[in-house]
Amino acid sequence: MRAAGAGQPVSAARRGAARALNEPRAALVEAEFDGTPRAVDREAVALLREEWRVVDRWWTEAPVSRRYFDVVLESGRNVVVFRDDEAGGWFSQRA
Amino acid sequence: MIACILVPGFELRAALRERPRLSLAPAALAPLPGTEQLLGPVTAAAEAAGVRPGMRLGEALATCPTLLLVEQDPAAAEEAWEQIVRRLEENGFAVEPVELGCLYLETRGVERLYGGLQPALERALAAVGSAWDPRAGAAGRRFAALAAASVARPGQILVVSDEHAPQFLAPLPLSLLPLDEERREELAELGVRRVGELAGLPGAAVAERLGPDGRRAWSLARGEERSRVHARRPPADIVERLEFPEPVGNELTLRRALGALLDRMLARPERGGREIRKLALAARLVGGGSWRRTVTLREPNADQLRIRAALAPKLAELPAPAVWLAVEPVELAESTGRQLELVKPDGMELEARLREGLRQVRASAGAGGVCTVVEVAPWSRLPEQRALLVPREG
Repeated sequence: MRAAGAGQPVSAARRGAARALNEPRAALVEAEFDGTPRAVDREAVALLREEWRVVDRWWTEAPVSRRYFDVVLESGRNVVVFRDDEAGGWFSQRA
Repeated sequence: MIACILVPGFELRAALRERPRLSLAPAALAPLPGTEQLLGPVTAAAEAAGVRPGMRLGEALATCPTLLLVEQDPAAAEEAWEQIVRRLEENGFAVEPVELGCLYLETRGVERLYGGLQPALERALAAVGSAWDPRAGAAGRRFAALAAASVARPGQILVVSDEHAPQFLAPLPLSLLPLDEERREELAELGVRRVGELAGLPGAAVAERLGPDGRRAWSLARGEERSRVHARRPPADIVERLEFPEPVGNELTLRRALGALLDRMLARPERGGREIRKLALAARLVGGGSWRRTVTLREPNADQLRIRAALAPKLAELPAPAVWLAVEPVELAESTGRQLELVKPDGMELEARLREGLRQVRASAGAGGVCTVVEVAPWSRLPEQRALLVPREG
């Protein structure tokens, strides 16, 4: 995802630096046996508010399969994390 | 001397650059969707099979069932043409592009540089590139140069002197002249099929029968036109493009993206404060095709809202979702004085302070310190694909 100069420009184009808003960030998550988060970035989870799945682009070469959790940590902070089934690993993101 | 360089069927050649084998097969440039179903340029194999440019699609397919229709790629054609014109300008030629595949050169300035007219034109053809099969004609008048280029073979340079121009033009067909098909048929019925035959008619009678267009064609046929080459000023390299994470067909999203692109384009220092007279809006479509529209503004200006109001309606003409969207100023006006207001409207002072504050943020945080959020796919289930942060330079 980027703003860029034309790859086949009529005249040479300046390459911009647009970037996606709300890119996922790697997160350190400890999970229970059923996959739900127990701690996020070494802070315990006080409440699991919501859980949902996103399965998309399965017809492409870059399928997406994520399990999202909206949690409240012990400090009162609200965080959304997801487990990426395709790439493996946990990430945090504003949903 | 005025030289004319022609590349017949330029759009078809540009579309076939990625598939050169098709140039040996019966192929033709397909009409754009929504336009009259008439063929564009055709390959030599298609012509041999009886297909002609301008033929109705149905008739062409009936004439040659194996005819391949090549989808138009206007962005690629414009890009390739611009590269050719720039190569000529880099070689010192003053270039007046007329349309895709046709341009005029003034040779007076470069004949001494290259050691004569012939070497100069050879240099020009080399700059165009032999892959395009260009041909060149040179004469004292534009029409004679065009006619010479039309008659020349690929790679050939045909020079027509002023004293031989009438004999050269006389046997050429009327299709070289800027006349409607209707007018040509009318003349054909009167037994006038050649340029020389038209030139021999009385001018007043031609004007009365064929109107101002006919009169002009008559003047050209007699070699009376005196227009010179009006070389273009090479445009500044200002193109702003935004690629979408997913193809976008939603007009509202495209309008927002257009707004962000216009902000970036207007902030480019290469513009040098010059106002914009003509703009191009281009897109790469999902599936690989391209789309391009050019808009001439009623008056040159650099007001984002006014330019956006002129360009935005064109987005409704996109035939398919866009993978990227680009804006390019095609023609810039020269810098002129500006009439300022005596009393500033409400809100101007606040706007000026805000602009100054943003400038300071940009100065301390660097490029990308001030951004605009552009929603590109707000309905996406993946949060990172819903919006882009686009650096704002202006």
